[in-house]
Amino acid sequence: MTDPFNLAMILIVALSLMGSSVGISMIAGSMLYLLLKGFDPSLAAETLLQGLFSGYTLLAIPLFILAADIMNVGSLADKLLRFSQALVGRFRGGLGHVNVVSSLIFSGMSGSAVADAVGMGKIIINMMTKDGKYTPSYAAAITAATATVGPIIPPSIPMVLYALVSDQSVGYLFAAGLLPGLLMALAMAVMNYAIARKRNFPVDDVVPMRDLPGITWHALPALMLPVILLGGIYGGVMTPTEAAAVAALYALVISVVLYRSVNARDLYTALLGSARSTATVGVLVAGAITFNYVITRENIPNAIADYLTQFEFSKIGFLLAINALILALGMVLEGGAILLIIVPILIPTVQSMGIDLVHFGVIAVVNAMLGLITPPYGLLLFIVNSITGASMGAIIKDILPFILALVIALGIITFVPDFVLFLPRLLGYQG
Amino acid sequence: MHRLMRLHRWLAQRAEDILALLLLSMFVTFILQIVFRYLLNLPIGWTVEWVSIAWLWGILFGYAFVVKETEVIRLDVLYSAVPVGMRRVFDVLSGATIAVVFAWTLPATWEFVDFMKIERTAYMRIPFNIVFAVYIPFAIAVILRSLMTAWAGLTGRGSQFDKAVSPETHEYD
Repeated sequence: MTDPFNLAMILIVALSLMGSSVGISMIAGSMLYLLLKGFDPSLAAETLLQGLFSGYTLLAIPLFILAADIMNVGSLADKLLRFSQALVGRFRGGLGHVNVVSSLIFSGMSGSAVADAVGMGKIIINMMTKDGKYTPSYAAAITAATATVGPIIPPSIPMVLYALVSDQSVGYLFAAGLLPGLLMALAMAVMNYAIARKRNFPVDDVVPMRDLPGITWHALPALMLPVILLGGIYGGVMTPTEAAAVAALYALVISVVLYRSVNARDLYTALLGSARSTATVGVLVAGAITFNYVITRENIPNAIADYLTQFEFSKIGFLLAINALILALGMVLEGGAILLIIVPILIPTVQSMGIDLVHFGVIAVVNAMLGLITPPYGLLLFIVNSITGASMGAIIKDILPFILALVIALGIITFVPDFVLFLPRLLGYQG
Repeated sequence: MHRLMRLHRWLAQRAEDILALLLLSMFVTFILQIVFRYLLNLPIGWTVEWVSIAWLWGILFGYAFVVKETEVIRLDVLYSAVPVGMRRVFDVLSGATIAVVFAWTLPATWEFVDFMKIERTAYMRIPFNIVFAVYIPFAIAVILRSLMTAWAGLTGRGSQFDKAVSPETHEYD
């Protein structure tokens, strides 16, 4: 109990539960460990500084946040929504499908579920509720649920975090997310269709077919972004980090030049907002890097691997247990913390079970995203709750079917590795 | 007092400007890097160094001077469930502990940062004690902010108890 590592763990948990910053708590815990062990206490700062300074891959995070912020202040989201409406608005539960499709396209540009819900979400919730066609709670629920696809379809900030802790290629991880993301969207579209029939949602105004080419033309520059991004990464033209910068530049250029919807003031707001988010998540990353030093020094991941292998889990049993664990943690922890703190501890065990690390990355990220919509601590639930003002209870009731749809998708993603790894292998992944 | 408040606001806004500028410089440098490497076929090394510095400084400087208490990533499951009196106890305990631990390690860390002057970055030849210097104001800010949290808990004044989640700052999820 009085072992320095245990005391450091206790301090981190206690500080976090008492409402301190999770990142700062981890740094403080690492410092306590060093002090108790009699090591040089400056090792904490050294690890933190060297880790951040050499974490080149992580630089994709501020740039992807910036790209999404620019798209949100510009009118790109608007153009995309009109396009999605023209495309799938004609089916029953039309605006629900519009929600799914626009989230899908937007997720090909932004790496974040929250950016999706905040930007696109506000507009579509407004569209869905303004004539009283859909209840605010249903609009809120489907918006939160579809936003989870954002970080599964590349680009993806959580995948970058996973790449950091697992030492896997960001490019292959991005590729591995594409089919699972489409599957999740499909599962939610099917669920929306079933609910729309059961609750007899009205059919929405149909955009005439002859308007489709014009609307598509207007949305085309925005639609090209995912193509440029993914083409650039997989064509070997640029690294995912550079692609993030290109995405931000592209969003800026079309917003300013083509759509004329961003001025200098907006750009400043986007820059400052992104920089703030970066500093906030950066401290969490810094805490994880620092504490990771302690964990490695104590050889914790291998000890856990040894401990877990005693139970002789079957691969399926282990995957089920992992899913249950991360889902349960997702109810109380937020996604970034799970990927940075819990996942690295499990990685040696995952490897010793013969599970592919790219496959596991997708499982972990999908789980972490599900955590964003599971009560009681679901960040996306808070966001749509504050946008719509619908009661949390009603939103949770309406989101349950979508959670079910996503869990079914998660099952397929977990137990059919070939489905996840098909694209990365096509691109040369040996695994 | 009024003047002091004005000065504080002015400084806070300049800190925001610097933070925005750091991200802008990172963005522009990346574009330069891509242009030089792929269009002009002239790879330049300093860009990687500059973006790494801007990222490091952006996080530590931003956390020290721009990020508000309400934006910090925290677990509020327990904190928001307990009565105000208990929250005050939490604030005093956690604030004091963090301040003590950071203050305790500060002298050794100062020595480390100072010692790093013997090394320079590979391209821009910037001494590492300058690159890493941003840690010192960061650590001091953490100590001061933790003390303020503890103080607010003791006196029961201040807006420290309002730790509502602000989703807009979680854009990485």
